[in-house]
Amino acid sequence: MSARRLRAIVRRVIVEIRRDRPSLALLFIAPIIVTGLLTFILRDTSSPDVRIAIASAGSGPAAGLMTRQLSSALTGAGMTVTEAATPDDARSAVRDGTATVAIVLPANLAGGKDAQIALVTKGLDPAGDGAQIQAVSSAILGSLASSLGAVLPTVTHETVYGTPSSDPMAPFAPAIVAFFLYFFVYLLTGVSFLRERTGGTLERLMATPVTRGEIVTGYTLGFGFFAMLQVAVLLCWALGAVHVPAIGPLPAFSLGLGIAVAGSPLLAFVVVLLLALGAVSLGIFLSTFARTELQVIQFIPVVLVPQFLLSGVLFSVDNLPSVLQPLVHVMPLAYAVDALREIFIRGADLSVGAVQIDVAMLAVIAVLFAAVASRTIRRDVV
Amino acid sequence: MMNSVSPSPSPAAPDAGEPAIRAVGLVKRFGSVIAVDGMTFDLVPGRIFGLLGPNGSGKTTLIRLLTGMTRATEGTAQVLGVRMPDRANLARIGYMTQGDGVYPSLTVAENAQFFAAAYGVRDAGQVEDALRLVDLADRAKTIAGTLSGGQRRRLSLACALVHRPPVLFLDEPTVGVDPLLRVQFWGHFRRLADAGTTIVVSSHVMDEADRCDELLFVRAGRVIARGSGAALRDESGTDNLEAAFLRFAGETEAVA
Repeated sequence: MSARRLRAIVRRVIVEIRRDRPSLALLFIAPIIVTGLLTFILRDTSSPDVRIAIASAGSGPAAGLMTRQLSSALTGAGMTVTEAATPDDARSAVRDGTATVAIVLPANLAGGKDAQIALVTKGLDPAGDGAQIQAVSSAILGSLASSLGAVLPTVTHETVYGTPSSDPMAPFAPAIVAFFLYFFVYLLTGVSFLRERTGGTLERLMATPVTRGEIVTGYTLGFGFFAMLQVAVLLCWALGAVHVPAIGPLPAFSLGLGIAVAGSPLLAFVVVLLLALGAVSLGIFLSTFARTELQVIQFIPVVLVPQFLLSGVLFSVDNLPSVLQPLVHVMPLAYAVDALREIFIRGADLSVGAVQIDVAMLAVIAVLFAAVASRTIRRDVV
Repeated sequence: MMNSVSPSPSPAAPDAGEPAIRAVGLVKRFGSVIAVDGMTFDLVPGRIFGLLGPNGSGKTTLIRLLTGMTRATEGTAQVLGVRMPDRANLARIGYMTQGDGVYPSLTVAENAQFFAAAYGVRDAGQVEDALRLVDLADRAKTIAGTLSGGQRRRLSLACALVHRPPVLFLDEPTVGVDPLLRVQFWGHFRRLADAGTTIVVSSHVMDEADRCDELLFVRAGRVIARGSGAALRDESGTDNLEAAFLRFAGETEAVA
């Protein structure tokens, strides 16, 4: 090994990377952004805004007294509490969103372990529900310990939509399908548009009467076609469960994730497709700032990972630090994840306000990004 | 070798007397760098004009100004009487860029068809004609990425003239092209010009220059001399264009 040659190689590598300013900057900025965001989310997640509707299955003065005692304890813990006339009223308060948790007290609250206090949440946001349940149940048990002594009732968790923990994958499947689609469509468009810019074909194309709008729309429809195929295959995989019987030594198995979908798979398809169209424009837009394919990939931690963290895929959007909340509203992935959960778990259709807002926002973001992307295709810049 | 397919008459050839291309006080600055430093000229239709000058003298920037690919800092560029940049006018202009600018994963025919569509050509026969003109008709189904350098250059030329433009800009069309093919290229250019096409060819190779009807010597963003090869040789009192260029360059230096 010649020290002289070795030194030449090391020096060349260092010089090359030093001249690639964007890569160099991202080398430090990307991990700082991602770890900073993650720390912020994990450390400063605001305590959930708990709004309780409380009702007792029992009647009579004893039940009323217990309800009032618990209410004041929960209010003292900083939660908003309203008393509902019946357990059904409390549940519907959760369904229409006036309450985040319904507490249904049993008739025999002093009955020890057999007594069950039901905590009811909506069931669309597993991470958010978990935080609510944890806060409420510890407040309840703390308050009851002083009045009931050692024999505490059991606290159970119910959800208005779906069943809690019956399929832990159910709330994540739609979010992950959306994320991967966004990711791959961005990567595919970003790289191929970069090739168009660096390969001289964009300059050539700009020397024809083709308009920028035609280019962006053409790309969107062309890649939209493949996005459509990808979504179709992914949805079939996630929702399907084809049972393959045992053949010879092979045991029986089932093909597909078999995730239950309460709503229309077609609507889910439309939502994901809108997301994909926005991703095409994002790819075109970011390819302006990239000189090489490596740089397109380096945008992932800066552009896609924050979306993953802030769009409710893993962490509840509602509990994110309030400083980060405004960011959520500009992230297309957040709208897609929300809409897909409404459709998958709640069985929502287009008549539901939340889905209408999500779909409208996805469409607006897709159009807005297409406009921005077409501004980056300038005859001058090529 | 090359089939002599004569291009059909240009669709919108300008009236005789009207210049096909006109530059008036054309200036292009990039920050503090002046790429084109005040060029004024008229180019009549149906002739081959050679832009001759060293690398970095402003030839490509001039072509980009004339095709409207970039905006002039000062002055105006007109092609066929229309002030550039003008998107619609691009349908009457062919531009062969310095790079090949073809899609490597498409076939030869697909590339030509794509650019034909971009130029608004409806007649499929024009794609065949263009490929025949550059002798690639039998390679129509070959993937462009697997072509040799010279073949890719020919495909690039086919894509630039598939819409039979009355004005054709060729930026260093013969770079990397072997001598035999170079002769064929010039044969095409001559046939196109005879049919009425105005051709502007940039080059830094002086031995190609005599094939042009008229030469514009370009240096440091200015046209330092203009005329036929013979006239420029006479004027400078030399017997070759290289020496003539240096003579004119020296004179401008002395003036500046």
